[in-house]
Amino acid sequence: MSAPARTQLEGLGLSSSCVDVLRHLWDYLDDEMTPGGAERLRAHIAGCAQCREYEGYQACFLDTLAKLRAELGAPTELRQRLADKLKSQGCGCWHKVRNES
Amino acid sequence: MTTTILATSELLGDAGRDAAFEREALPWLDDVYRFALSLTRDDADADDVVQETYLRAYRSWHTFIPGTECRRWLFTICRNVFLRSRERQRPTVDLEDGEQDAVAAGSVYAAARERGYDDLYATLDLAPALRDALDELAEPFRSTVILVDVEGMTYETAAQVMGVPIGTVRSRLFRGRRLLQEKLLTVAEDLGFVTASAGGMR
Repeated sequence: MSAPARTQLEGLGLSSSCVDVLRHLWDYLDDEMTPGGAERLRAHIAGCAQCREYEGYQACFLDTLAKLRAELGAPTELRQRLADKLKSQGCGCWHKVRNES
Repeated sequence: MTTTILATSELLGDAGRDAAFEREALPWLDDVYRFALSLTRDDADADDVVQETYLRAYRSWHTFIPGTECRRWLFTICRNVFLRSRERQRPTVDLEDGEQDAVAAGSVYAAARERGYDDLYATLDLAPALRDALDELAEPFRSTVILVDVEGMTYETAAQVMGVPIGTVRSRLFRGRRLLQEKLLTVAEDLGFVTASAGGMR
């Protein structure tokens, strides 16, 4: 982290554990931390109301993003066009492209 | 090892190939489309990229190694098709420090709290605004957010698809998330939403 960012954090008056949460919460929620690092963060969050609240906020944001998956998909026209192309290539399962929902 | 697998695949014949293609590749059409759209930002271009991706995948099916992740294989083809279609090199790697964005997201949250929007995502249906914000997000942040947050890929898998180091995926992802959160706070303010509680645990 850059020096200005560090100074900015120190100005907030947060504990070093709270700063770790700010820096690594996304790694933690993405399950991309080492087991030891994740455990340290988990332990701090369990005992810190402020960080627990921030975790809830970020988890909710990621949850909202993940739900977009169900809303966006390949359009019917594309499926039809691809089915025609695959059929012309001799693909036996071309009709399955159209039938997928 | 690979030679043996390829030989087995070839022994399957057309019917076997079609059955395997149907089983392994076709279920990912929606996923590939979302990824293509994140790259092209244009419906018609995305259609073309998806079509070329699947045709190429079908023709090159013998190179798919059974037992590996077909979605990742398709996404990699998709990205290559896109890059070729644009006749451009891989985007410049942005090595911004991801943690600065993570910390900046904390500041966005603090600003939201001050204005009474602390449980923004829990109380409001921000899905439409989030979709719009995602549409407006610049590359390469947009495709990275799509791969990890919408498609649920690990940093490592997304890095393989994008052909960049894991650290680059992380910094792009964090930047994308921070920009989205800033945008959503602005939307919430514009809509005049104010939550009842000013803080506390939920």
